[in-house]
Amino acid sequence: MITPSLYFLLAIGIFLSFLIFIAGYCYWRNQRSSPASFESLFAQLKWIDRNNIAQVALDLVDPSGRPKVGEAAATMEPSQLWNLIGGLDGLETMERNSDVLIDLAFHVQQWYPEALPIAERLRLDARELKWHVARLRGAAQKGNLQISFPFYGQRAVVTYYLMTRRVLELYEAANFSTLADLQRAL
Amino acid sequence: MHLTGLDLLFWAAGFAENLTLLFVLWYRRRAKAFPFFTALVTLVVIKTLVLYFVNLYRTKNDYAYTYWTLAILDMTLQLCVVYEVASLVFRPLNVWAEDIRSSFIWLISLSLLVALGLTWLGSAPSQTWMQALTTKGNLFASTLLSELFVAMMALSVKVRLPWRTHVAKIAQGLGAYSLISVLIDTGRSYFGVSREKPAFVAISHVRMAAYLGCVTYWIASLWPDELPARTMTAEMREKIFTLQARVAYHLQDLRSRKK
Repeated sequence: MITPSLYFLLAIGIFLSFLIFIAGYCYWRNQRSSPASFESLFAQLKWIDRNNIAQVALDLVDPSGRPKVGEAAATMEPSQLWNLIGGLDGLETMERNSDVLIDLAFHVQQWYPEALPIAERLRLDARELKWHVARLRGAAQKGNLQISFPFYGQRAVVTYYLMTRRVLELYEAANFSTLADLQRAL
Repeated sequence: MHLTGLDLLFWAAGFAENLTLLFVLWYRRRAKAFPFFTALVTLVVIKTLVLYFVNLYRTKNDYAYTYWTLAILDMTLQLCVVYEVASLVFRPLNVWAEDIRSSFIWLISLSLLVALGLTWLGSAPSQTWMQALTTKGNLFASTLLSELFVAMMALSVKVRLPWRTHVAKIAQGLGAYSLISVLIDTGRSYFGVSREKPAFVAISHVRMAAYLGCVTYWIASLWPDELPARTMTAEMREKIFTLQARVAYHLQDLRSRKK
């Protein structure tokens, strides 16, 4: 027969195992995703065709990042957007890269604490990108991906595009010698 | 209350280590950055002294009353340290990051519920109501604190808010100690609170040893400086300032047009 004390021990056992598992997982994720050196961060960036990204983003915003208005905005066809972005896989690569972009901004912020507002803004931008991708994943499960992709996909690309520009400008402003490497990658 | 040589050794070692930690906090100028943590360490030093003398010169009831009063203060300060760590991690621009508020409230509510549930389940074979209250209070405190620290870790990983070195060390130490405390308080709830029981005495020693390990970790981690900051030139500052203004403006504009 199970006594109340055994229920208590069982509950504590489950509780502790769960907490230790979560803490271990978070520690592992943190260690894996926050390397100290620029080189190790840089190596985590996955290749994405920057010309395609720029083409898709500049359909909605101008090169300085200001949203376009009127007939000049959002002129691309859904099939064209799908091909240039590389579908949901392309967006997922951008999602992973956005995490690296935050780490790159944090790398600068560690040396120059004054860069904190930019790092924080980039983090919020990455959250927005993830939100768009999550909406698209949901749409894919419901079979509505073709309808939702042009709207959310293009906005996710704009967010990613602006993030890459900001990271480059941040490295340029901070006079980091690694700027040339980043320019080639982004 | 009769104390063995080992008890006295733990008391003395704990007192000396806490004093050393306090020295590190003030001498290395960490106290200003972590006021609640410094207050907590100060309280532990005072608590050790007060309880030692109350045990020597006052009655058993006085000891229980003092212990319980200081334990409430201790718990309050530990919750303040949780707040301190949370505010250093989740308020990067001196306001709560806009994407974490609801998650944080949800996590705190869930942690409280689980801690209350586990405390309610625990039934210590206590002799007095004071013992029962102390056992349940300790179990509640350790479960709640361990949950909050793990929840903060999980949330920061999810939203990718980095932990600066010293904040991370304080949180890791307190989080690990809270997890060990859950095990220890579970043992106390299961075996009961009495110095006549060998299991209780052994558990108390494990707790003290765990705490000593934790304080040693803090002393070693808080002594070295974090990564030293570099000074920006006027030109760099201007570039960063311009970029910051553009970053804030453009996406806000884009978002407002989407609605």
